[in-house]
Amino acid sequence: MNSGKSQPTSNTTVLWIIGAFLALIIGGVIIAQATPLLFPPQGSAESRQIDDLFKFMLAIGGAIFLLVQGALVYSVIRFRAKPGDTSDGANIHGNATLELVWTAIPAVIVLVLTVYSYQVWVSTREAKSNEQTVYGRGARFVWSFSYDVPASAVPSDVELDKLPQNIQDAITNNSSFPITSRELHTFVGQPIKMVLDTADTLHAFWIPAMRIKQDLIAGRTTEIRFTPIQAGEFPVVCAELCGGGHGDMRAKIIVHADETEYLTWFNDQVNAVVYPPDDPVLRGQQVLASGQYPCAGCHTLTSMSWTGITGPNLNGVGDRAATVRSAATGETPEEYIHRSLYHPTEYLVPGFGPLMPQFQPEAGLPNFMPVDDNKAIVAYLCTQTSTGESACDLSNLDAIIAAAG
Amino acid sequence: MASITAPLGQAQTTAPGLKVSDFFRWSVDHKIIGIQYMATAIFFFIVGGALAMLIRWELLTPNLDLMQNGEQYNTLFSIHATVMIFLWIIPMFAGFGNYLVPLMLGAKDMAFPWLNAFAFWLIPPAGILLLLGWFVGPAQAGWTSYPPLSTLYSGDGQTLWAMSLHLLGISSILGAINFIVTIKNMRPEGMGYWQMPLFVWAILATSIIVVLATPFLAGALTLLILDRVAGTSFFNPANGGDALLWQNVFWFYSHPAVYIMVLPGMGIISEILSIHARKPIFGYRAIALSSMAIALVGFTVWAHHMFTSLTPELRIPFMVTSMIIAVPTGIKVFSWLGTLWGGKIRFTSAMLFGLGFLSMFVIGGISGVMLGSVPVDIHLHDTYFVVSHLHFVLYGGSVFAIFGGIYHWFPKMFGRRLNERLGKLHFALTYLGFFFTFFPQHIAGLQGMPRRVAVYAPEFQQINMIISIASFVLGIATFVLIYNIIVTLIAGKRVGANPWRALTLEWATSSPPPAYNFVGDPVPFEDPYGYGTEESVAYLDALEKRFPPPVDAEGTLTRAPQSGD
Amino acid sequence: MQRDLLEQQLSRKELQDLRNKRTGLLIFQISWIMVFVCLVVVNWQLRFSSASWPPPGVEKLPMLLPSIATGLLLVSALLARWATQAIKENRTDPFLTQWRIAIGLGAAFVVIMAFEWITLPYSKTYSDVFRTMTGFHIIHALAIGAFMINVYQGARAGKYGQTNFWPVEGATSLWYFVVVAWILFYVVLYWI
Repeated sequence: MNSGKSQPTSNTTVLWIIGAFLALIIGGVIIAQATPLLFPPQGSAESRQIDDLFKFMLAIGGAIFLLVQGALVYSVIRFRAKPGDTSDGANIHGNATLELVWTAIPAVIVLVLTVYSYQVWVSTREAKSNEQTVYGRGARFVWSFSYDVPASAVPSDVELDKLPQNIQDAITNNSSFPITSRELHTFVGQPIKMVLDTADTLHAFWIPAMRIKQDLIAGRTTEIRFTPIQAGEFPVVCAELCGGGHGDMRAKIIVHADETEYLTWFNDQVNAVVYPPDDPVLRGQQVLASGQYPCAGCHTLTSMSWTGITGPNLNGVGDRAATVRSAATGETPEEYIHRSLYHPTEYLVPGFGPLMPQFQPEAGLPNFMPVDDNKAIVAYLCTQTSTGESACDLSNLDAIIAAAG
Repeated sequence: MASITAPLGQAQTTAPGLKVSDFFRWSVDHKIIGIQYMATAIFFFIVGGALAMLIRWELLTPNLDLMQNGEQYNTLFSIHATVMIFLWIIPMFAGFGNYLVPLMLGAKDMAFPWLNAFAFWLIPPAGILLLLGWFVGPAQAGWTSYPPLSTLYSGDGQTLWAMSLHLLGISSILGAINFIVTIKNMRPEGMGYWQMPLFVWAILATSIIVVLATPFLAGALTLLILDRVAGTSFFNPANGGDALLWQNVFWFYSHPAVYIMVLPGMGIISEILSIHARKPIFGYRAIALSSMAIALVGFTVWAHHMFTSLTPELRIPFMVTSMIIAVPTGIKVFSWLGTLWGGKIRFTSAMLFGLGFLSMFVIGGISGVMLGSVPVDIHLHDTYFVVSHLHFVLYGGSVFAIFGGIYHWFPKMFGRRLNERLGKLHFALTYLGFFFTFFPQHIAGLQGMPRRVAVYAPEFQQINMIISIASFVLGIATFVLIYNIIVTLIAGKRVGANPWRALTLEWATSSPPPAYNFVGDPVPFEDPYGYGTEESVAYLDALEKRFPPPVDAEGTLTRAPQSGD
Repeated sequence: MQRDLLEQQLSRKELQDLRNKRTGLLIFQISWIMVFVCLVVVNWQLRFSSASWPPPGVEKLPMLLPSIATGLLLVSALLARWATQAIKENRTDPFLTQWRIAIGLGAAFVVIMAFEWITLPYSKTYSDVFRTMTGFHIIHALAIGAFMINVYQGARAGKYGQTNFWPVEGATSLWYFVVVAWILFYVVLYWI
């Protein structure tokens, strides 16, 4: 058996080897130039660091790719057995130097990648001094985002008794209350800390443009940080299988150009909440549009631009409540819609399963929905009729709720 | 005692001509069991492939068209992956191992023939149990089956899924015990561990992983079943449980599982490249030891599947271990290249798939290192980039190795050679179909397409159409192989004991081998990869005299095929 | 010396078979203990993700009876060991006595732990994990115990002796497994 000794390497061989190495490195670098084409726009400060890290890895990966494919192509051309040649190749079992080299070089490469990755990790994770906390919630199959509003931001001329209880308490105690939106808003240069939780299964909060992703885990809150650097609208995508509507679970992040533009939006949201409309139908529309409740994830309702298909289609629900649902349940239409929110499995629309979360009128319970919100939603849904006129008698609903105590 | 020089006795061939019905019956002969494993696995490959075709048809457009709702689609990929992992790749390699390990060791059978048969016969009922889930609300939480989706939001098919996997896990463990004992205790005189073929090393390393890791899958599945049927709350935070508990226990098995799925394939590649390039394997000990290193280090990396759910502080250690495991893998790839370099390469179908393996697996390895970097993985986790990576290593790696192994060992198993023209067609369609199906998926993932979605943002439609059309080509390519197998079994060209003139012991007996494999105790050639020496040529010539082929160079029958040819 | 005797009396194939069975049983046990290790890991993960263990308002597991049961189990393992040595020296009567008592002590262990299993009040994951671990273990004790009863019957019929003892050795080895697995669980459930 031959030993692993090879013939002494000649100068030409050394030159070939050096030349091959240079070609590989150049080739890898060329391949890595494709990096910007592969990624979405760089929406965050973190994305620059991550894209650069990826580009570095692509250069190395590209070089290795060229090395292996090149060696394969060269081998199949140079070392093919000529037709009729039944002899064997050289009886070489290995080469200690070569094996050492191709162990050491990959080891050094992965060491470098590990250190570089660690640096990027530390840098993208650190808390920023002026970061803003935004709460994100995933529920099958819709996102909602909440912002804390300090009591001091509330104008003094609001009518307290028109406000939900939790806002009244926040104002009296000079603390804060949340407002909710189905879109995530921020502005260029504002560091964000997302605090995330889930209403049901695992979800994952992913903004491809920001290169950030964090799972939402049942029973706890999780966090992720990013700082937007580019104005515009970018998709927010769910990246953890959560059921049939997983692919539909998308939202948007809107990065305003500057703080003024952002505050314009923010103040509009606050005003809509602290100056609620008197008309219960309008109030219902506002509650539903805010995303406080995950209805959009499962229901279609064209007037609200909802496209969910896991639950019954709500177009024309007012008409149906007054006719077939009323007949099936023995309830008046307003009572039916009211009870569907607090007791969703009491009556299942034929063809659908018991998947709707149960909303609760008491604070502190999961899926808390104050009675006033419920009534507002009923008011709005009652107007989902062919004529646009309400199918319900809302004073009857008031009486039922008062009687229940 | 050497069988090579012993005179041929009449009593040698006790194998009757095998009939198809023999393979549907209980047998303790490892060769029959091996073929039973392989035929069953190929059946499930077609089932899993059909599901893949439905997935790609659905993904031609951004909206739901073929499926009526998202749950139906979720079932498609959940069952696709489960079938491909547990009913195709793992049993297929068990089949190769079962058929070849005793032969390569010059043994008459495995250490526990009865247990061997029992382990196989667990598979068909497990497969049926899985598919029965269709009728009771099938599994739709992915093959990873994360709670709460799999515990609180899934139908009874999820329980059947878990029970099916229990059976398959037990089958796997029993098979692995058999392999370890056989390899440890039944090697012939002259075959120390450093003289074993690398395929045997691969099966040994794989079996060690199986016996140590699969019990964790059993634990996880048991807890899942208990949560679903017995009212426990292991994964339900409302009652003190923890959703991440499943992820940790599951991945503690499932990461080593990916090495279970690739190491035997690497063993096959070592055999094919050496024999079809007629050159010793380059770096034998390095390859053998790297298999063991991968098996060991493979137990330390599991949470890299959880970089977006794991406590942030714990992510870096798993990045370190994940990067480390790239090194032994790289050693193998370079050693294989070193094997080809300076050889006399014959472009048989087996060699073509060996080359294809090298070409595609390295891409999977590169994307794997990228995913091992935590900051980059934060963007890429749960996207089509991961789908691409896993298919490059499992299809471009393991399945290419399986195809190569089929072309390489089919003559030994059936005494007939698969048609080479069809083999080359199969390779060409597979290589191109595979590349254009899976390479673009890297890009889709980078640009923002998540995985496991039936509907996607319209900007991804063009790339998905390319992927789907290429996947249909890949699907068709498989049928070229199936057709080749069928026509060869019926009327294929006959070959003798050693059509590839290989040095390992499975070739030192007739094709197919007789009932107890060898006459007397065979003596292994001093070096299973000793090509390029006069001794090897003399040994191979003596073998040819001992087992003359039934056909001449033009393929004309020179004598009537004997039973046992 | 026993090995030399064996090598004289058994054929090469029988020796190879015995060697294979011993290796196989060992590998099986190394593998199967990993399920028990898995349950220990589950116990720890639940423990460390909980504010306190036992959780607030839950009583710690009662220790007295399980400790007695553990002692009985250890004695039964010792008896099984002596019995196995006896049968390998063809002393069937001592084997039968010691084996019978070992089975009896094992049965007592099962009865005590089954009592604990039934009587522990429900306390969410704290009791869930206790029941899963002890239930899993009891199932193994029962299965191996049944095997030991089968071996007892075989010995009574005169099947085992100096040259035919594998089922006895195998059953004893599996009984050791039951004991080792229990020690692991006992320490994790009651002591740590």
